Amino acid sequence: MEVKIEGVSDFANGSYTKICQDTFRDAELRSNIDHVYMHCNPKEFVFVIAVKIGRVSRPVTVWDVTLREEKKLRITTERYAPKLLALLWDKYGEKVEQVGRLELLLKLEDNEIEELLKLVLYDPKDDLVTRILYALDTILPEGARVRSPMRSTNSIVIIASENPIGEEQKNKVEEMVSEYV
Amino acid sequence: MYKIMMFEGGVYKFYELKELVGDLGGFILQESVMQTETMMHLAFPEEDEREIRNKIKELGGKYKELPLAGTEIILVVPSLGKHHAVDPMCDIAEFLRRSGAITNMMGLARGVGRRIAQMTTQEKQIIEEFDAAVFIFGTFEECLEEKVKLCKNIDIPYIIVGGPSDIELEHYVGGVGRKTARMRNKDEIERLYAVTSELERALAEKRLDLEEDPIAASPLFIKDMIEMTILPKVGEELPNVIQLDGLRVKMEEEDIEKIKEIEIGKKKLLEICEIKKSPYTGYLLEIKSEAVTGTLF
Repeated sequence: MEVKIEGVSDFANGSYTKICQDTFRDAELRSNIDHVYMHCNPKEFVFVIAVKIGRVSRPVTVWDVTLREEKKLRITTERYAPKLLALLWDKYGEKVEQVGRLELLLKLEDNEIEELLKLVLYDPKDDLVTRILYALDTILPEGARVRSPMRSTNSIVIIASENPIGEEQKNKVEEMVSEYV
Repeated sequence: MYKIMMFEGGVYKFYELKELVGDLGGFILQESVMQTETMMHLAFPEEDEREIRNKIKELGGKYKELPLAGTEIILVVPSLGKHHAVDPMCDIAEFLRRSGAITNMMGLARGVGRRIAQMTTQEKQIIEEFDAAVFIFGTFEECLEEKVKLCKNIDIPYIIVGGPSDIELEHYVGGVGRKTARMRNKDEIERLYAVTSELERALAEKRLDLEEDPIAASPLFIKDMIEMTILPKVGEELPNVIQLDGLRVKMEEEDIEKIKEIEIGKKKLLEICEIKKSPYTGYLLEIKSEAVTGTLF
């Protein structure tokens, strides 16, 4: 993930580069974003942030987070346990029993178990935009509450200010970020 | 004048130190015993420092100066949201506490932004209850210049902590700004030390004023008298906090009526203190100057 900050002093530049890197890392988005461009204009209090979305990891299946032991499933990644249980109980009802904290007993045929292992548990694509927007909200200064989003298929651009954002400004920003998104 | 210092050491014979402090007319402000380790904040007359040092040496303990001891400080940030908390405000607060200060934190209701940033009268009133304030602002020079105007009306000593290092401001510490992680690098720790020493400098002016026009009785002495009359409730932490020229008492209304009658020398507490309810917490006891009350003993 590349980060480019423009329009401010060296100190602010370094500071915001670190804020961007840390925030995207905390949101587990570093591998999903190609680059981030931020233009700060503290004099007029206008901040522009553009994010180019890159590759998204493949969906997580039941097979990825469990280990099969005959008619039993052992959950290997506990953080998916609530989602996994909800999915299986919804689909198979009482045929799936939780016998231990990380142990499930399946009262199913072998071919049904094969099918079960292929079920998609979580697709990172589903909440990708939500997570990116949360990260952008963390990065942009809190006082810049007037937001104007510009979204295309693989990028997100947000203009933030404490003053109203006009059409002219939007056009200017579009031009400014065109080479990054 | 009392000097406040910290003792760290084992439990072996540490009661002897407590007794010595009591004999010299001093006070134990805080005490915590963790298995075999003891930590105490001691207040004793300045001229008896040598005697206390010798005793600590004899007990094999450590002795630490607390430059901000006896002060209650407020840290003010533009908001308590994810942009300003936890770092750097908690890092700064922790460092001030290590220097002996009692810290409080406050997020302004409308402190964010540049043009829209403001401070309400009530907020100003709360800030002025403390001995000193530390304003923690962000990274941009332009915003900082605008926000400094908010602090100008504050009547107590204050320092400003911000990002840019080359701003010409009185009591300003730069190089901090917005943070997303704990300040633990060498440079960052140096910045935290700089904040502490700048605050010390800002408070020095107030200390000098108090030396020139001394208050009627030491807050430590009044605190001790109050706690002898109304015992702190079990599990209550720091119910009474000392300030440079007064104290904050966290008590019920009926107890306040009782403490007004406490005799301090020849006078009652009511006569030497101005007692008012704090909009923040508890009651504030502002000790009048000796010139107003006359001698008490």
